Amino acid sequence: MKFLFDLDGTVTSQETLPVIANHFGISKEMEELTKQTVQGNIPFVESFIRRVNILGDLPVSEVDNLLGQVPLYPLLHQFIQEHLENCAVITGNLDCWCKQLNAKVGCQAFCSHAIVEDDRVVKLEKILRKEVVVDHFRSLGETVVFVGDGNNDLEAMRHANFSIAVGLTHNPAKSLLSIVDYIFYNEKALCRQLSQLL
Amino acid sequence: MSPAKSVVISCAGIGSRLGLGLTKALVQINGRSLISWQLELFKDVEDLRIVIGFQANDIIEEVRKYRDDVTFVFNHRYFETKTGASFFLGARHANEFVLEWDGDLLVHPDDVKMILATEGEFLCYSEKTSDDAVFVKVDEEDNVLSFSREYGDYEWTGPACMCKKHLTYSSQNVFNMFEPLLPMKGIKVRAYDIDTYDDYQRVSSIVKDW
Repeated sequence: MKFLFDLDGTVTSQETLPVIANHFGISKEMEELTKQTVQGNIPFVESFIRRVNILGDLPVSEVDNLLGQVPLYPLLHQFIQEHLENCAVITGNLDCWCKQLNAKVGCQAFCSHAIVEDDRVVKLEKILRKEVVVDHFRSLGETVVFVGDGNNDLEAMRHANFSIAVGLTHNPAKSLLSIVDYIFYNEKALCRQLSQLL
Repeated sequence: MSPAKSVVISCAGIGSRLGLGLTKALVQINGRSLISWQLELFKDVEDLRIVIGFQANDIIEEVRKYRDDVTFVFNHRYFETKTGASFFLGARHANEFVLEWDGDLLVHPDDVKMILATEGEFLCYSEKTSDDAVFVKVDEEDNVLSFSREYGDYEWTGPACMCKKHLTYSSQNVFNMFEPLLPMKGIKVRAYDIDTYDDYQRVSSIVKDW
């Protein structure tokens, strides 16, 4: 059994992009882009490239430090800690921005990748397609449960054996409701279901 | 000690026989939605699972007025399947023992307490109130021997409590899933189905005393 978790707003109790945007005073631009992306109005890949263009000039180490302080859902974090071999986080965020955050979560992490020089993002190299990670684990014979909340989780959920939409931080994207097996609005109930699936 | 039983309420259907244009969970019984009556009866159940399909968003919104810690389970094929499919989907990742509960069923609160406290597998039935029903034949020890559309001693209303390992997928009615498992322990309860407009009016009158 493999539990694959979206990171932003699923494992973290705050969305990470607004945290970066607030810190660096570029909230308005990012808020609109994030909102449109979560609602599915702008395709994820286009949105992501635009975000990296906006954020790429920011010092990578400062972003990494900032995201390392983003709070996690405590019960879900505990579940991951207790089942490290069964869990992985899957995020479109850049690996260089999420080093500390991923270390804090503790399990295996799959991210998008960029080349960093002089503490700045200079080239976006790989945009993670979450469904590829799902396919990878399924090809190893794993039963895959995907847990997420955004429109960019849709394909991964389709490819997974079971899919769970969460509305812990905000309501899940409406597009997910036509394909998911479960939906949760409460962390304790979500963790109970994860344990029942084991 | 094994965890308490899960409760699966099947609310995925379109409620076509009732003719009020709403999925039954949202039908108003004396000023409150049917699902809110059930949530009150199951307020102490930890693993409460509600299977949704037709008007899923509206049911989620209604349920969340009362509690947030419900497991919402989707039956996306609600139009082509019957309650057996919803129960299977609701139960497959639940606790070991699962109480099956149709979304259109109200049971007297004292009987609900008794049902929740009763261990093991069992089927519940009630006095006959409808001609268009499924009936059960029972023996002298109250065991359910058979289901029938034509005749029987009592009316099959549910609920039923089953061990998860005995369940297999069925797109048909939930009682079809139980037929291969008969005979099973039976319990008589005061249960009321809301299938038709007559049922709806009768139940609205009955619950005034609850």
